[in-house]
Amino acid sequence: FYDVLCDVGVCVSSPEQIQKQELGKDELRPLYLDFQATTPMDPRVLDAMLPYQVNFYGNPHSRTHAYGWESESAMERARKQVADLIGADPREIIFTSGATESNNMAVKGVARFYGLKKRHVITTQTEHKCVLDSCRVLESEGFSVTYLPVQTNGLVDMELLEKSIRPDTSLVSIMTINNEIGVKQPIGDIGRLCRSRGVFFHTDAAQAVGKIPLSVTELNIDLMSVSGHKIYGPKGVGALFVRRRPRVRLEPLQSGGGQERGLRSGTVPTPLAVGLGAACAVAQTEMEYDHRKISALAQRLIQKITSEIPDVILNGDAEKRYPGTNTTTTTTTTTTMRSRANTFFSLMVNDVVNACTSASLEPSYVLRAIGADEDLAHSSIRFGIGRFTTEEEVDYTAQKCIHHVHRLREMSPLWEMVQEGIDIKSIKWTQH
Amino acid sequence: MAASAAVRTSMGLTFRLSRVLHVCGSCPFYTLNKCSDRAPHLERIRSLDNCGTINRHVRTSIGLHGSEEGSSNAEDPHDVVNVLYIDRSGRRIPVKAKVGDNVLYLAHKNGIDLEGACEASLACSTCHVYVSADHFDKLPEPEETEDDMLDMAPMLQENSRLGCQILITPELDGIELTLPKVTRNFYVDGHVPKPH
Repeated sequence: FYDVLCDVGVCVSSPEQIQKQELGKDELRPLYLDFQATTPMDPRVLDAMLPYQVNFYGNPHSRTHAYGWESESAMERARKQVADLIGADPREIIFTSGATESNNMAVKGVARFYGLKKRHVITTQTEHKCVLDSCRVLESEGFSVTYLPVQTNGLVDMELLEKSIRPDTSLVSIMTINNEIGVKQPIGDIGRLCRSRGVFFHTDAAQAVGKIPLSVTELNIDLMSVSGHKIYGPKGVGALFVRRRPRVRLEPLQSGGGQERGLRSGTVPTPLAVGLGAACAVAQTEMEYDHRKISALAQRLIQKITSEIPDVILNGDAEKRYPGTNTTTTTTTTTTMRSRANTFFSLMVNDVVNACTSASLEPSYVLRAIGADEDLAHSSIRFGIGRFTTEEEVDYTAQKCIHHVHRLREMSPLWEMVQEGIDIKSIKWTQH
Repeated sequence: MAASAAVRTSMGLTFRLSRVLHVCGSCPFYTLNKCSDRAPHLERIRSLDNCGTINRHVRTSIGLHGSEEGSSNAEDPHDVVNVLYIDRSGRRIPVKAKVGDNVLYLAHKNGIDLEGACEASLACSTCHVYVSADHFDKLPEPEETEDDMLDMAPMLQENSRLGCQILITPELDGIELTLPKVTRNFYVDGHVPKPH
């Protein structure tokens, strides 16, 4: 059985590839349930951005003429909108090219600035690839990094975290909501712990901003990454919250004319910044309604699937999660067979999760971190529900999923064996 | 007559205001070849009180009254604080300061090229210095505006402060102030703007 990552439309690297077929012009488009990978732009955001593309197109750093001034005031308005959503001061928001850049800036920048005396960084094993890769780079520079394991429900163990903090720890980086399994970490407790020990606390809140209420002051957060295209905003923009009191200093990654407080030089893209601001403002008004609707739809989906199919595992803690992200593992259906099934679905569900890890050959490291076996990790699907998902879409998804799982299991000799009570792990496979 | 009198007055005024050690190259008397002191010296540093033109000695009131911030010739040993500047080329310049001296103006008085573009009004980051580790904690916490301006300085380190906000106190004896290699006035040809 092969390790196949199959997201319809994403190229996979294995012997059994899904044929990449772009959708024809008049073809009916599949349903989209991959809101963790990206989201469509809210039309209100597009409306806000358009004038700044063709009309008010000045460089916001042009100090000497009206084009520059109007661009600058639009940028500052957007900054205020982002700040209001997370309870920060506008001067603490730095516009970046996305959450990946924000995470890079936060992790590498803080570690290097305080690197003379503080050589230790703490993160978790379920972080986003950009955080983990930044930590790997730091390790190659001589820092020591602790990758905290998570419990089987996906949450970090507070006692373990407390024991891991050393006198020379400069940064703790733990994401708010995991993009693969949707669990919500105890950010308030972590923030309080870090503040009491004098360690900076960074959280990658790309999946959380605009979806759950966040306040950087209440949660004692020192650095926070925001992503535009996860909250129905434009792609290519994000933000980094950098606390001013007590002051957090970073070594900038990008050098230049000193824009954005010297931390991120480069012309701020006014249309994108305006779009991010508008997305945050819209999210603030829609947050409560969206949360209720998405919770209801998620409940509906999970309930339908688990009631019809036995032996389905919902990965991650059942309570402390964001309802829009559900990764379910249906045991004993390998993904090879699923990939063919997916092409029959008109679904765009992200199998075995995550656009960024779909290039790697191994199954999801997040699922492995919460203790899922490798074969279980291969049989997992992430269903993402968002602001624009309808009840009909959810019903259709559930129906198709049930249908195909039944079909695959009927074809599968392993399933028969499991039904008879044989423990699959005890089987010795031979080559022939 | 009136013109030279006006020049003399304005020079005296300039010297009093700038409190810069008089460098012959910038003196109008020298450039007009009217300086009475004819010995060949291009950038000789001389005492403020002795420059002159033909038949006249220009006296300024600097030497007479002393400056409010303390002159370098302090005689009272209790007030003298040893400060060491390490300039951009690595040269170590020991300086005797008086309690209450401002680090930026102290540097100017001693010919150290610490830039002060906004003249200590907390509007730039050019007087950025690195403070020696032992003395860093003895300085008072920076105000928010100082921190904001410091954010804009290139090559920031944990022991960075703005020089114009550091006032010399007796417990800062032996403090070492290192000038960073670049400031926000970023000249790759090595040019350093003269103090105003």
